[in-house]
Amino acid sequence: MLCSSSNFRRGPSLRDLKVAELDDEALREQADALGLALRVDELRSIAQRLERAPSFVELYAFDAQWSEHCSYKSSRALLGRLPTAGPDVVLGPAEDAGILHLGEHEGERYGIVIAHESHNHPSQVVPFEGAATGIGGIVRDVLCMGAEVVAVADPLRFGSVDSGREHQRAVARGVVDGIAAYGNAIGVPNLAGDCYFDGDFDDNVLVNVVALGLVKESEVIHSRVPRHGENFVLLLVGKATDASGFGGASFSSVALDAQEAQSNKGAVQVPDPFLKNVIMRASYRVFSLLRERGIEAGFKDLGAGGIMGCSAELCSAGGFGAEVDLDSVNVALDRLLPEVIAVGETQERLLWALPEEIVDEVERIYNEEFSLPQVAQNARAVRIGRATAAQRYQLRHLGEIVMDVPIDFLTGSVRDTLPVEAPTPPPMRREQDLHCKRSLDDLFHQILAHRDVCSRAPLYRHYDAVVRGRTVIPRGEADAGVMAPIRGSRLAFALSVDGNPRIGRLDPQRAAEHAVYESIRNVVAVGAEPIGLTDCLNYGSPRDARQYGELVAGVDGLARAARDFGLAYVSGNVSLYNGAPNGHAIPASPIVACLGRLTDLSHCVTLPLKEIGSHLYLVGETQRALGGSVLASILALADEAVPEIDIERIVAEHRFVLAAASNGLLRSAHDISDGGLFVTLAEMSFGALADRRAPIGIDLDGYAGWSAAGRFESAFGESGGIVVEVADRDVERFEELAGALESVREIGTTIAEPLLAFEDEAWEIADLHRSWSRPLEELFP
Amino acid sequence: MKARVAVLVFPGTNSEEETRDLLVDCGADARIVHWSEAASLVYYDAFVLPGGFAYEDRIRAGAIAAHDAMLDAVIEGAQAGKYVMGICNGAQILLEAGLAPGTGEIRRPTAAFTHNAQGHFICERVLLRRTVPATRCAIAAALPENLLIPAWAAHAQGRLAAAPAHLDELDRDGYIVFRYADAAGATDAHLAPQGSAHGAAALTNREGNVLAIMPHPERDAWNFNHLDRREGSDPLAPSGGSVLFKSFVTALERL
Repeated sequence: MLCSSSNFRRGPSLRDLKVAELDDEALREQADALGLALRVDELRSIAQRLERAPSFVELYAFDAQWSEHCSYKSSRALLGRLPTAGPDVVLGPAEDAGILHLGEHEGERYGIVIAHESHNHPSQVVPFEGAATGIGGIVRDVLCMGAEVVAVADPLRFGSVDSGREHQRAVARGVVDGIAAYGNAIGVPNLAGDCYFDGDFDDNVLVNVVALGLVKESEVIHSRVPRHGENFVLLLVGKATDASGFGGASFSSVALDAQEAQSNKGAVQVPDPFLKNVIMRASYRVFSLLRERGIEAGFKDLGAGGIMGCSAELCSAGGFGAEVDLDSVNVALDRLLPEVIAVGETQERLLWALPEEIVDEVERIYNEEFSLPQVAQNARAVRIGRATAAQRYQLRHLGEIVMDVPIDFLTGSVRDTLPVEAPTPPPMRREQDLHCKRSLDDLFHQILAHRDVCSRAPLYRHYDAVVRGRTVIPRGEADAGVMAPIRGSRLAFALSVDGNPRIGRLDPQRAAEHAVYESIRNVVAVGAEPIGLTDCLNYGSPRDARQYGELVAGVDGLARAARDFGLAYVSGNVSLYNGAPNGHAIPASPIVACLGRLTDLSHCVTLPLKEIGSHLYLVGETQRALGGSVLASILALADEAVPEIDIERIVAEHRFVLAAASNGLLRSAHDISDGGLFVTLAEMSFGALADRRAPIGIDLDGYAGWSAAGRFESAFGESGGIVVEVADRDVERFEELAGALESVREIGTTIAEPLLAFEDEAWEIADLHRSWSRPLEELFP
Repeated sequence: MKARVAVLVFPGTNSEEETRDLLVDCGADARIVHWSEAASLVYYDAFVLPGGFAYEDRIRAGAIAAHDAMLDAVIEGAQAGKYVMGICNGAQILLEAGLAPGTGEIRRPTAAFTHNAQGHFICERVLLRRTVPATRCAIAAALPENLLIPAWAAHAQGRLAAAPAHLDELDRDGYIVFRYADAAGATDAHLAPQGSAHGAAALTNREGNVLAIMPHPERDAWNFNHLDRREGSDPLAPSGGSVLFKSFVTALERL
């Protein structure tokens, strides 16, 4: 892994690149030989600004720092379009994670820290390690805000996993095993997630991760050296630096090539959840020490760009420069090249900026009380440098300065202006009902067994959903996961993650709007008030005008929908260059997480039907638009419009559902999404089976005659909405509360017979359950 | 005076806080004791080993932790009649330490909770029923007959395994305190979600002062995280699986 690394082919005698002496072609050739993704114009601008030939260490530093992954050079200007301020925003998207206000308990204001990332390319190349380090990284982003890590969630997009597609199946299994192995071991419950299977992800899966933390708002630690922090000590904590993850940031910023996948494996980091478990607990101890002493510090996760990226950003965010001595870094191997120590992305590391007076005590907590060196080979807390008033970023190695650049040049914004092609206009709405020769019965079973609809339990039962004992609603029992994070308090939060790739392929802007709408709807369906959003933008190449146009449309969709719903984004991530080696991009995949708040957790609503003789209401409208639905994909319907989002109506519906929930009028609730209304109803009936009780049946006696759309649209359309169960004794109050809201209609009642009855059809719940519960069992046994 | 209970934390433990919280809510003076504080363990009346992945489950789950200095105090205490309960990884450690079922020598295990039949981690709701007389295990003595205790199975290694003759002996002599049950209270072996021998969910020792239980009652133990939460009940009050912790504290108070 030393000089033989495929990323490093130079002898140690030539340690700088004579940019000025080379023509463009020769420069490109030399840069390629060094494994640099920097463009020729970028290389020239570095040499001009430094007024000399840049050293290799400097080149690898700029390569990481100016990569798409770190600099957001293709997307930063677009991201300014997203709303980021609002009444519940404690901290917007400027640091490692955002913070939303949860509520007050015993006079203290509590915030929920939320971070959202992707680990797509690493998970494609080495699924287990890639997915595990995805969890590992996002957990550090939350931890370093001074928070206790309380939950993770994982939206996943796999390729087609039909029998015989062994590679895609192995990737899917490896990802799930990696998430389980890491999350379970660190003891953070997996609260939410979603999963789609689609051939367009065959060569490039999506593994997004969300992590949540709990923090008192007065005790937030920022990702910057404090204002008075001149000469603050930079204390590196964690795993000994090795050669893993060298080139990680640049690797995430180029398209995957199957031929190169093997050589890229060295760019993926190695997870160590056991060490992380101990680092988390030791850091909690440090947080209380700093609180007791009233000391302000900076704390940041080492992610892209390693020691260099983290120390440069931590110091420059506070208005300082930095000096770092690479010889003081605890390493796992002798003779590591300085650029590997500087920018390698070894996992399980964090960086403190601390005043001298407290450094010894913090070192003692990590190294002695929590015995990091005994937990993992040469893991420890160690001083590596300091924050300086001089606005330079300096690295020393073997006593020599190997990097010395203006810090704002290194960390400042680089932006690319790129050509954009607007996406093809999506199809228009149909005026007529859908004509379909197939029977409802036949389609119902096929839809229930569809991979995007069927039970996810075979997947998520690998994850610990309840460690820490604070999970109120685990995955599968409601539309969003719910947790009560504060001991002795009724405050709770709800989390949902959403994004439908079938819509992404048809209409990039509306896919983004639907991702926002669905995540909000899921949170509302458990009775929680939505308070904020995060986003992860998973797209193709920004160098392809059409693919870049999808990103632009997606950002516009996210911005518009969030403004319509009155919410802000507090954290997010952009993952570009997702696609197949032939240049075919993944479907536009904006993935949104919504956080909701319950001031009293006893008002939360779960999905299973609760009693016989209840009334079922549909809150929502059905449209003649099957675009992006499972039905459309089964019937191969082209030219279907994506449902519109009638914002005024939906906002009123959500307000009503929340009022009904907080008045205790909802016995159960479930939103209409993949597969449509009939799937929603079936899943509400199945709930009782999971609780080992006899299923409760449904008679859709009120269904006929009210729907503005046809039978197939009504049964399997995916226009949104929420089905709620209201006990017979509460009907009067419920209808009074609904008032003039027209989109609240009774559609049926719950019955003792284990049947779903509609017109002349009566499906046995147990038969429907068989179709729905089994398809993923063979993939995730 | 309240009984002093130590909740032990090894490197890799992850369920210490909820375990401590539930013991406190059930009336114990419970404290978390970290591995660097092993010397203080002698001052405690009882020990609870919570869930997690102590020492990364290296070699076998619980194998390294059973040789940790903290176990010296636990073994000495158990032999002197102190009550010891291990949950999940804590149960695995007690088996590796030879404290449960305690049919061999110390630190020479005769049985193990080992890899699940399906070969991976599972997380699901389960019900448990005590299948021995109330007097068999002091820690579980205060539980009403035939009560179904809700809990979560959340483990990769929860299948009881031992030599067949020894398994029959454990079954016959009342070592299997709890078995996996269905809602009607049946305890057929096939109800164990990971294929545990005899449907076993928990083991005691000959004296009945040690309980090694694989599923987590503390994760379904307050109304807010209890499956059958009643409307109008205080969401923060103990319920569900807390009955086992109450029985543990009751046993301590009777000492």
